[in-house]
Order: sequence, then C-alpha cells, then structure tokens
Amino acid sequence: MVRGYSRPRSLDEALEMLARLTPRALPIAGGTDLLVDLREGRLGECHLVDISRLEELKVLEKRSGKIRVGAGLTFSEVERSGLLRECAPVLVKASSQVGSLQIRNVGTIGGNVAHCSPAADTIPALLVHRARVVLRSSNGSREVALEALLGGPYKALLAPGELITEFVLEDASHMWGEFSKIGRRRELAIARLSLAALARKEDGRIGELYLALGAGTPVPRRMESAERALLGKRPQEGDLWEAGWLMAQEMVSVSGPRPSTHYKEKAACGLLVRTLLPLLEDGS
Amino acid sequence: MNPEEKIRISFRLNGREVEAHVLPGETALHLLRERLGLRGVKEGCGIGECGACTIVVDKKAVNSCLMLAAQLHGCEVLTVEGLESPVGLHPLQEAFLEHDAIQCGYCTPGMLLSAYALIISRGVPTREEIVRALAGNLCRCTGYHQIVDAVQDAARRMAGKEEGRW
Ligand code: FES
Ligand code: FES
Repeated sequence: MVRGYSRPRSLDEALEMLARLTPRALPIAGGTDLLVDLREGRLGECHLVDISRLEELKVLEKRSGKIRVGAGLTFSEVERSGLLRECAPVLVKASSQVGSLQIRNVGTIGGNVAHCSPAADTIPALLVHRARVVLRSSNGSREVALEALLGGPYKALLAPGELITEFVLEDASHMWGEFSKIGRRRELAIARLSLAALARKEDGRIGELYLALGAGTPVPRRMESAERALLGKRPQEGDLWEAGWLMAQEMVSVSGPRPSTHYKEKAACGLLVRTLLPLLEDGS
Repeated sequence: MNPEEKIRISFRLNGREVEAHVLPGETALHLLRERLGLRGVKEGCGIGECGACTIVVDKKAVNSCLMLAAQLHGCEVLTVEGLESPVGLHPLQEAFLEHDAIQCGYCTPGMLLSAYALIISRGVPTREEIVRALAGNLCRCTGYHQIVDAVQDAARRMAGKEEGRW
C-alpha cells in the first residue's frame, strides 16, 4: 500500500527524506519494476520518494581513465550516448535490448541494479565493465564492487536510506563487446539466459576477456572458468565449445541442479559459442 | 475516508492545462482513463507487456500502466484523443484506415502514439526503425505488416508538417 509520495528537488533533499521516512521510504525512478510489484501486491506500506528527475543522478563523463555513469540515466539515454558507445559498448548493447522502447524511455540502470532481478540485463554488462557502485545516504557515501551489492534474487544489499548514485566503469575503448540473450519477453524469464562479453585481442591472441552470465544463477556473475580457458589463446571453434561447457558447469555448481538444468546447460554453452564466434575472425 | 494524502498535480494534456488531485499509488493510466474519461488509453496487461496503454509524455512513448499519475506533474502529455485536430483525423489515423491497419482496434491508440513519438523524433523512419519502435505494442489481429506500411506512409506525408504541435 502506497501511503505517500514526495518529489524532492535535489539529491540532498532526497537523501534527507529517505533517512527521515525509513523504513517505509522507497525510492522510485522509472517505476517500470516497482509498478509491477505494486500491482501484484508485493509492496508493503511505503512512501515513494521520486528520484526520476534528479540531475545529480545523470552524470556522464570520462575522468582519469574511468567512466562515470549516473544511476538515473534511462536505458534510452545510455543507448544514445556517444561516450558510452565508445567506452562502454556492452552496457550500450544490453540497454538497447531491455524490454520495449516504452520501458527503455523511463527505466534506469540504477533501478535495474537496485531491483536485482536474476535476469536484469544491465547487471552482466556492468560486471564485464568491472563496475564499482557509488552509494550515498544522509550519513555519507561509500563505493563497492558491483558483486558486493548483489545479495540474492531481488536483494540488493543497500543500507536503509541509501541510494545508488553512479557506476564507475573501466574504460573499454577499442575493446570488442557483445551482449546476447535467449528468450526475449518477460513471461519467458525462466527460459532466459543472457551473456555479456568484453574482450581485447593482441596479435591474434585473447589478451583480455570478461564474461558474465545473467539469469543462469541466483544473481548474475562473472564466469571465470570460461574466461581462464580462453585467455592467451588463439581460439578455434572447438575452444569455444570447451569454454562454453566449463561455463555451464560453473553455472550448475553455483545454482545447484534444477528442473531446467538440462536445458540451461546446453543453452548456456551454445550462447557462449554464438556470442564469441565473431571473435575468431576480428576483434583486434 | 482516505488514509492516504492526495497530491496536487498540473500538466498539459492534449494541449490543455489540467489540474488533478491524485493518490500516491495511482497510475497515470487510472487517472487518464477512469477519472479524466480518456477511453483511448486502454488497459491490456497492466504490467508493461502489451503497449495498449501507451501515451506520449514529453515527446517519448511510455506505458501509462507503469507510470505514477503523480509523475505526470509538469509534463506535456498526449493521448489518442489529442491526435485528431479540428480539421480532421491525423495523417497517421488516415493512413491506418487506408492500409487496413485496424481490425478489433484495441491496440490502435497505443500503436498510433508509439508511431507518433517515433516520427516526431526521427522524421521518416526506416522499416527497421518502425519495427523496433513498435516492438512494445502487441497486436493480436493484423499481423503487423499493414501497421508498418501505414506508419511509413504517414511519416512521408507528415514530413516537415508537424511543427507547432508541441
Ligand atoms: S496495459 Fe500497459 S503495457 Fe499493457
Ligand atoms: S487490431 Fe486487434 S489487437 Fe491490433
């Protein structure tokens, strides 16, 4: 039940409100996940604090080799940003594949992470960009690796009154990046898998590689066994199948066996091969 | 009677200033359709899957079922009722009729508004751009081809003529 709604005019005012109204305070940005929860009766007593228009959450800049991306940027804004197209290609590709245009126009990357769905599209992308998360509350601020924030399905480890204000990404200019997924619509979420990949080739060998799987484990995560299997190699297609299999094993060992495991193992393996195939020819 | 506080909002709706008092958890869809009587704003799924509730807010297509009424404050809002002008149907509406892009009509207002937002931002879009912009609008009847044809045709007719509407 929503008991109240406020629209603070600045970030400081928002943080002060969140502190004062805890534990009932609930930030709302694009609302595309929150309104579904509201409709399905999953929200308790709450007071909504509307952060969707705060300019402070729309930072977008490159500074000392890092890319600062405001949590309040919508998927459409991320998709259109020239800076991000150049320096954060996987985040751009993931954002362009979120839901529908209507959802991309209002949904934000901060909201996507805070909602922490196992199938959140931008989380695997942010993981391969090695994102750190800047959090603020009325008591101050802290910065953590994105992994440390992912507590479980729909459980981001935010302290009461805390807001994600921005993500700090490693500069991925001149790197090859891809984001692909299986199953597009939300009602197919169970069958859905997504893979984010970021790589750099050096003299035909894979010099750097970051892979993160979405919807295969309770929270999206880096797939280091597959990364290690390919690093330093001039991969052939067979190497990709091997890496895909390792990734599937890692997924199952984290999630435990499920009714869907049999399908998901094969799907994860195929997804990796399909995603990384272009890397065999180009991607220098 | 009501334990929740009401919020006063004002926004431009189809070119006119309106004021409303809304509940904190009320959706834009509920306000527009049930309380302001704009029956062109349809509810299909209520969870952002079908696009029947699409409206244009500050020149962007959004799902009104996923937006709070309170979030409309200060915005410029267009529903299908605002598309028609005193001189007649909008070129998009004409094109939908001519191309048989309407069967049951349930998806039509949302389709028109998604197409409108696309055309005002892109001018004459490619077929691919149209398909992508309408991907969040489901149609159970037409099979989409006629709709894409209609949008392309309307965009050509509208080229350069939409100044001043916003
Ligand atoms: S009713 Fe809003 S998207 Fe279906
Ligand atoms: S005309 Fe019937 S749903 Fe599109």
